[in-house]
Amino acid sequence: MNREKFRIIQSRIAFIVSTLTAMFGIFWLIFIIGDVLVHGIGALNINLFIKDPAPAGVEGGGLRNAFVGHLMITFFATLIGVPVGVLGGTFLAEYARGKRIARFISILSDIMVSVPAIVVGTFVYAIIVKPIGHFSGWAGAVALAMIMIPVVVRTTENMLSLVSWTVREAAFALGAPYYKVIIQVVYRGAATGILTGILLSIARVTGEAAPLLFTSFNNSFFSANMNEPVASLTVSIFQYAMGPYESWHAQAWAAALMITVFILFITIIGRLIIKWRYKK
Amino acid sequence: MIFSFITGIAAISVVLIIVGTLYVLFKESSLSIERFGFLKFITSLDWDPVRESFGAAAALYGTLVTTALALIIAIPVAIGIAIFVTEVAPNFLKGPVGVAIELLAAIPSIIYGMWGLFTLAPIMSKYIEPFLQKTIGKLPLFNILFEGTPLGIDLLTASMILGIMIIPFTASISRDAFNLTPSVVKESAYAVGATKWEVVRDVVLPYSKLGVFGGIVISLGRALGETMAVAFVLGNNNQITTSLLDAAATVTVKLANEFTEADKDIYLSSLYYLALLLFMASFIVLSIAKFLLLKAENKLKA
Repeated sequence: MNREKFRIIQSRIAFIVSTLTAMFGIFWLIFIIGDVLVHGIGALNINLFIKDPAPAGVEGGGLRNAFVGHLMITFFATLIGVPVGVLGGTFLAEYARGKRIARFISILSDIMVSVPAIVVGTFVYAIIVKPIGHFSGWAGAVALAMIMIPVVVRTTENMLSLVSWTVREAAFALGAPYYKVIIQVVYRGAATGILTGILLSIARVTGEAAPLLFTSFNNSFFSANMNEPVASLTVSIFQYAMGPYESWHAQAWAAALMITVFILFITIIGRLIIKWRYKK
Repeated sequence: MIFSFITGIAAISVVLIIVGTLYVLFKESSLSIERFGFLKFITSLDWDPVRESFGAAAALYGTLVTTALALIIAIPVAIGIAIFVTEVAPNFLKGPVGVAIELLAAIPSIIYGMWGLFTLAPIMSKYIEPFLQKTIGKLPLFNILFEGTPLGIDLLTASMILGIMIIPFTASISRDAFNLTPSVVKESAYAVGATKWEVVRDVVLPYSKLGVFGGIVISLGRALGETMAVAFVLGNNNQITTSLLDAAATVTVKLANEFTEADKDIYLSSLYYLALLLFMASFIVLSIAKFLLLKAENKLKA
């Protein structure tokens, strides 16, 4: 075998291996999603959404409390996290553009995006749960908001930087003060991007369980009071899946299906919007 | 003026959260730091709420082993995927494969954990672990790694799940790094007759190694702090074990399982001490990753 042939074969082998690894990655995606679909659809029924949990060991019941609680916690987390994140991103991209402080804060935000979520939970436990004396939905919302903020800060900053300076100059020329330029011109130009970033950050915190374990905790009864412990789907999944009853496992699968479908749906929509709006 | 002030405060909140976390974790763990010190805490195997004696050795060991194994599983696969997406795949496949890998990253970790408990763990205990015991478990040195009864709730299963979880992060950062290689450089290599593989090995990889390395370190940071995916399949057993088929504990699993049960001040304080160590470790690791990625970017601009 001559040298040339050897090099071609070597190249082929390398690429077969890399194709196999790609198939390996996709295999897990299909395996996991398929598994959640199969188990989840089998366990879906209307009671899941309209009934509260039955006492342990009793068949039946649902997860109405967890669905409502999860929605509330995520809603309030968004209400806290999004304004702070968008305004913070505005500062980095507009007022501090190019300055040291902007670079420093964006690097910190990037690091914080990957900081362990469970540590955020312990932090909120110390500053909210302990002083108040009990777990609460608010604590859960604050914990999730803290995870959202750096994500929203970074996407806002990126999206605002994409708006070209000539647009701002045109507005300045009309005599508009900077804050009006930002609110009425720059935000409008970057709105789609910022909204997408918010969507993706909601998708991200929807699946979080670790920071909720010691903040909103859980509640096996229906409660719409954010001052009390509030049930969430992810914490319920953790408790039900680790629990001893078959019916609990089934409900955990159903909840897992709902969460996965929701997150994948939002993620795909978000990616489509970015592609449609920003690539070409 | 007012608006710039408000946005400034919002931006500072990121700094406040980080500094606040560090301060609070430090304050809450001070009781345990005073009682056990640093060296004694990280080397002690004790975790005994009754005798009020706490040490982090087992949890740190579990964290290190699962993280290291997860990286060993994930790195080759992730780099392979990145090569596939940038160099090998025909154009119509590049998009879908890239999206599929990113969806793998979007699945929440609690789903990975649950799937691990109900699907992967039984497969591991029934087929893969006995198979490993019969084959490489027979070899010297490897036999101590695969001792015991394969139950599926163990270090190996947890590392597998963690590995699958971090594949997409490493792959997408590596892909971005590969894409930064200027096509002129690649074309000149092709022009002198290099095969595709030689271009990847001798041009693309050296060119992007900082970026790829940064991606690996980011995944390391993620794996260190991952909670739910391992909480389901590790068993929270406070022990150092030579076998990968034994239950163990990690820092995060201990926090998740024991935080709400800690009834004594010193118990809670020790858990905070664990959280502090975890926070500092992941913060340092992620800073290094960020530094490498920035350096890779700057090199390209220069």
